[in-house]
Amino acid sequence: MTAQQLLRLYPRAWRERYGEEFAAMVGPESLQLQQVIDIVSGAIDAWLSADVRGATSAAANGTGGATMLKSLAICSRNHTRDTKRDGLIGGAVMIVATALFALLGIALKRSGHDEAAEAVVANSYLVAMNISMPFWLMKGQPWKAQAAVIGGTTAILIAIAAINFG
Amino acid sequence: MTKTDDLLASLGRFSEPALHILISLADGPKHGYAITQDIETLTGQKPGPGTLYGAIARLEARKWIEALPVEERRRPYRLTASGQKVLRYRLDSMRVIARIGRARLAEG
Repeated sequence: MTAQQLLRLYPRAWRERYGEEFAAMVGPESLQLQQVIDIVSGAIDAWLSADVRGATSAAANGTGGATMLKSLAICSRNHTRDTKRDGLIGGAVMIVATALFALLGIALKRSGHDEAAEAVVANSYLVAMNISMPFWLMKGQPWKAQAAVIGGTTAILIAIAAINFG
Repeated sequence: MTKTDDLLASLGRFSEPALHILISLADGPKHGYAITQDIETLTGQKPGPGTLYGAIARLEARKWIEALPVEERRRPYRLTASGQKVLRYRLDSMRVIARIGRARLAEG
């Protein structure tokens, strides 16, 4: 796997800005596993970080509901492809999915599956974010890129949850 | 700790690579590859390309570094005046922490 192939995982605006120098720096040769992990992590960061997407608000680095709403606003304002409507749809999908996972966690807790409940609740926001991505942040991207970013991060979350709570 | 220093800390997991980039650019403009080599010489560890450009993007967004015209597919970056200020604050802060640490080691 080469840097040129992994560059497809990054947002178009990022590739236009940094793609050429990034490829020149890494070179055309096959990458080591550690480099692949670093570049894929960088791609996820490029999609999710308001900073990298050109926003100037340092507050977007925090957590919590207010920051989540700020991030939604920043993303819908700065993204190169999606519209305000896409931002609202993506945000709504994320909020509804988070609520559904939280309800699932409560149901599991009440039925005595404490560890499973904890795993579901702990990952509810992140998985909901992944589910919402095709509606806005990754809208219009090649399906392979969507599958790699969304499937890859979901698989990592499941693996971490299985290790921690299994 | 000063407000300026807090801004560098606000970069989270990118604060350390960002600090290394600022230090690397302190003696003049460099492109990504030269920054990586310099950081490896400085710290013994080469930053991954995803980490490096995550930090560069954040530093650019805050106008602590700025891009220069591309030279042979490589774009050099240079430290801005506000970047120098942030770096100076952070280095001063590290010097104080190092002095306290050394003093406590000497006491123990």
